[in-house]
Amino acid sequence: MADTMEHTRLDEQLLLDTPWVTIVWNDPVNLMTYVSYVFRSYFGFSREKADDLMMQVHGNGRAVVATGGREEMERHVEAMHDFGLWATVQKDGS
Amino acid sequence: MKDFVADAGTIVGSFTEHETRLLRELAGEVIELLDEQLPEDRLLASVGIGGSDGPSSDPAIARLLPNAYLDDDHASQEFRYLTEHSLVTRKVANAQVLQRSLDEGGEIALETDAVQAWLRSLADIRLIIASRLGIEHDGDEGNADTDDELMLGQVYDWLGHVQGSLVDALDG
Repeated sequence: MADTMEHTRLDEQLLLDTPWVTIVWNDPVNLMTYVSYVFRSYFGFSREKADDLMMQVHGNGRAVVATGGREEMERHVEAMHDFGLWATVQKDGS
Repeated sequence: MKDFVADAGTIVGSFTEHETRLLRELAGEVIELLDEQLPEDRLLASVGIGGSDGPSSDPAIARLLPNAYLDDDHASQEFRYLTEHSLVTRKVANAQVLQRSLDEGGEIALETDAVQAWLRSLADIRLIIASRLGIEHDGDEGNADTDDELMLGQVYDWLGHVQGSLVDALDG
């Protein structure tokens, strides 16, 4: 009994700790220079990192641009929608 | 249009009379389209809480206000409830800034906040036009069967140039 409860608690803890991610998806409309600018100005990324993520979006159709708590990721997604970028939240690895 | 350049803390640009009118009209159409997404009760809208149940049946609106979760409708709906009205209100405000910048004609000097509103509103306008032209994948040229579509396609490309020029001026 005690063991099971212990396990349950551990599982819950694990679930809580599972990070969430912000994903930006490719679209045919937004300019590559604009997407890179958004990544730099909003997330504070270097030009190299922003360009790299932008090329991932362009080439792979998507890129993870942030990892962390769910609320924080939702704030990022809202900010991306503000810029006209298509972004979603999901649990990391799902 | 003369390309944007950075000048003493502002971004300076120049549009012809025709271009000025066009930009103001496009911003006006965005405002009209997005206004319909807000509740009649403006007090409610100003608090920023509330949203639709799901993506709009108008693909342009659905693209501007997409689901925040790919495969969790409930979480997407909750996200809409918490963010959609304030997001729409901000998009309308951005379009209004764009319009007001051109009140005195096409010679403009944009402060930092106005530049941010322009960038976002140009993105919104281009997303709406792309949706109307059926531009869905990289490389899509968009419908060009009618004169109107041809013209809209040219406007779309030109707006891309305007936005690109703004980004270049910020980066320069």
